[in-house]
Amino acid sequence: MPAAASLRHATTSRGRANVALITTDKDQGSTPELEIRNLVKRFTPQSVVGPISLKVAAGEFVSLLGPSGCGKTTTLRCIAGFETPSEGSILLTGAAIERQPPNRRNIGLVFQNYALFPHLTIFENVAFGLRLRRIGKAELIQRVGQALELVGLPDLGGRYPRQLSGGQQQRIAIARSVVLEPRILLFDEPLSNLDLKLRLAMRKELRELQRRLGTTAVYVTHDQGEALALSDRIVVMSNGRIEQIGSPLEIYERPANTFVADFIGGSNLIDAVVMDVDAGATIIRTDGGLTLRASRTASRVGDRVVAMVRPERVRLIADAEVAAENRLNARIKELTYLGQDFQLAIDVPPEQELMVVARACAERGLAAGDQVVVAVDATDVLVLSK
Amino acid sequence: MTVSQPRQRPYWVALVGPLGLYLVVFLVIPFINIIVLSFYTHSPTRIWTTELTIANYIDLMDASFMTVLLRTLRLGGVCTVICVLFGYPLAYFLARASRRTALIGLFFLVMPLMVSAVIRTFGWLVILGRNGLVNSAITAFGLERLGLLYNETAVVIGLANVFLPFMVLPLMASIERINPALEEAARNLGASWLQTFYRVILPLSRAGLISGCLLVYSAAISAFVVPMLMGGARVRVIGRQIYDPLLISYSWPNASAIATLLVIATTCFAFAVLALMRRSARQEQGT
Amino acid sequence: MNRQMPALLKPFVLLTYVLLLAPLVIVVAISFGTSPNYQFPPTQLSLKWYRAFFANPEFVRAFFSVSLVLGLLSAVVATLLGTAAAIGLVRFRFKGREVLEAFFLAPLFIPEILFGAALYLSYARLGIKPSMTSLLFGHIVVCAPFVIRNVTAGLVGLDPRLEEAAVSLGANRVQAFLKIAVPLIQSSIISGFIFAFIISFSDINLALFIAGPNSTTLPVYIFNLLLFEGDPSVAAASTLQILVVGLLIWLVQYLFRPRTLL
Repeated sequence: MPAAASLRHATTSRGRANVALITTDKDQGSTPELEIRNLVKRFTPQSVVGPISLKVAAGEFVSLLGPSGCGKTTTLRCIAGFETPSEGSILLTGAAIERQPPNRRNIGLVFQNYALFPHLTIFENVAFGLRLRRIGKAELIQRVGQALELVGLPDLGGRYPRQLSGGQQQRIAIARSVVLEPRILLFDEPLSNLDLKLRLAMRKELRELQRRLGTTAVYVTHDQGEALALSDRIVVMSNGRIEQIGSPLEIYERPANTFVADFIGGSNLIDAVVMDVDAGATIIRTDGGLTLRASRTASRVGDRVVAMVRPERVRLIADAEVAAENRLNARIKELTYLGQDFQLAIDVPPEQELMVVARACAERGLAAGDQVVVAVDATDVLVLSK
Repeated sequence: MTVSQPRQRPYWVALVGPLGLYLVVFLVIPFINIIVLSFYTHSPTRIWTTELTIANYIDLMDASFMTVLLRTLRLGGVCTVICVLFGYPLAYFLARASRRTALIGLFFLVMPLMVSAVIRTFGWLVILGRNGLVNSAITAFGLERLGLLYNETAVVIGLANVFLPFMVLPLMASIERINPALEEAARNLGASWLQTFYRVILPLSRAGLISGCLLVYSAAISAFVVPMLMGGARVRVIGRQIYDPLLISYSWPNASAIATLLVIATTCFAFAVLALMRRSARQEQGT
Repeated sequence: MNRQMPALLKPFVLLTYVLLLAPLVIVVAISFGTSPNYQFPPTQLSLKWYRAFFANPEFVRAFFSVSLVLGLLSAVVATLLGTAAAIGLVRFRFKGREVLEAFFLAPLFIPEILFGAALYLSYARLGIKPSMTSLLFGHIVVCAPFVIRNVTAGLVGLDPRLEEAAVSLGANRVQAFLKIAVPLIQSSIISGFIFAFIISFSDINLALFIAGPNSTTLPVYIFNLLLFEGDPSVAAASTLQILVVGLLIWLVQYLFRPRTLL
């Protein structure tokens, strides 16, 4: 179904024409669909979110990722209009909206606990916004029907929210927002109340839906797996600030600082000192006594740094392979069998401990106390400033 | 802790028994007495005789009592409407306010409730009296004094003032149960505050509204002190029709008949309120 | 939590509070004036009417010997009966429990003048003359539901696992209840006591019917003065009552959240 094309309608809001066109053309030119400029929200002198600056292109799926209290929900609520920024502005295709009341912004918000109206049928829930805009009966029925079909629940119009499962309620919540053809869809941890299997299934559906509609999406989550799977770009936040913005690959492979490195995926974070900088690499000496070749960095000799090594990048190699970079002799301290992977805690003399994740090879027959040889490429040793 | 084993001695009897007995003696029996008395014949010499009759009830059908009854019902209705108009915004505000604000707000709501109705009415007497505040302001502008007291409007003002908390408290409890995200969802979908109230808050707080209306109405039609002080002889209400015959003219069977009718009415209201509260508690668990 | 509210809500709510509290503010203000004409705002401040109040033996009697004593007695008995009843209702399951609970709370919904009339007639029929005792019995009926509501709320909020832990350590159920539950619901019992006192202290409707000439409560005395044109010592008496009630409620708020009032 050509969803994007068939949902191209003019919506009126109390007599004012408020045309919302959905373009599937992502190269809109230089005006981003959504821009946040120096947004600051002060709750108390100790609790401040911002300054936050961000540009989202039309049709993009951007996640705000971080631990609780990092400010991602506050940012989302500022975009929706339920918080008023203390400073800064929010622009929708170039127009500042931070002073607009939340019911005039034509921005869809999908709530964490769905917020379906318990006293209305599913049909009336989805039709709620349309009724407010005095959409004619025939068009209303048609649009609600389309929205329900879009989320795969065409026959549930007559039921009440309490009769639906969590996953179904979530989809109706999406249908209710989508039927109004908002310019932006905001998601406030929508999947966190679902169990794991359902969550994974809904993830796929959600992404597909967004792609089909071509609507710009901003998605708040604390689940890094979700962010990595869904997003075009991820905004990693902590303590009210943005730590890094980048594609999932960038965030994972090239974390900008220790917080991002630690928050996404597992990591070995090792305190070290820069010993030497040459053409291809940086030589560092860890506090545990190891000397490693690390990737290039702007640090200078003598700087204190933090080296980041992903556990899965540390390879177990055969004794014979002498030519590996950063070849280390180690002793297995602890070994955890995780099904697909082995998780090893190894001691590298003089005093360095490392976490290693290796693909299971039962034939290896490894056990705690064994001597092993590991290696890690210099490009996999990232140097982050302290 | 509440599992009943078959061998458990009924300790509960010892716990609820005393109050139960006490209420039977001092609540149930007096009310039975009043119902019985309403069927006795009035006697000017011995106050009543044990001859059973329904004359007392038939006597109530006369025009003067009907006037009083209708007036009482009408004043109660107007008072209830005023309480809804002022009470809903207040209830919403307290339900959604921060904890500190809500505590302060509740204090200033409950405190007048607990201070005797006499004192609150006293204040209004000063405001509306011949030499009171309003008239002082009016005469300062050189206008004629107004007779603001001893009419129905004054009584309604007094009633609404005294019984407003009865409306706010159940309404507030009802609104508190509404998930605030629903209001945000409605606004996000384009609703103004008025539309959000009408389409989301009102339907979902109906139980609290009805409870509040029944409580206020029930109290307003049985009110005695406020109409007496604010309305004087001109605004007679049912409460007065019970007090006078009872304490002054000793026509007890008559008064008992009126009281019985009022008891039936307010009991029905009370059951309705309890049923509503029970139903909304059950709904909460179901949703 | 900063909840957004419609712009006009706060001013309207403020207006409502002004209308609600204006009478009380005015009464308090008058009590500090000098004119015998209920003057507001008072042009000169003085304690004249308070002195008049304390100089009037009937006023003082009504306040201290009748209303205060009656309030305390009512509160004590209502608390005893009500706490026991609440414990029985919450901690035990038996047939008709819900009906019994409705019965105990019924006085909350019965208009006081009806109850007053009923009691008056019963006393008259039995030849009992109105006195403080007869009023006391009436007040207990009206006050008990407030105690029950408060204590019930406190009990319901208790984690049953605390007493289970005590039992697992060797206590029997009664000991566990007395040592664990009762201290934890202390604040509920006390706030119930305070509410009972306030209800009795402020009661007018019941007292009008059952109080005799020797047991005129303060509100009744004020009522009569208002009807028959007293002087602003009435305002002084009223202010004292407002003070007492206000302080007690403020106290309760520190012990217990009053959302379970009605």
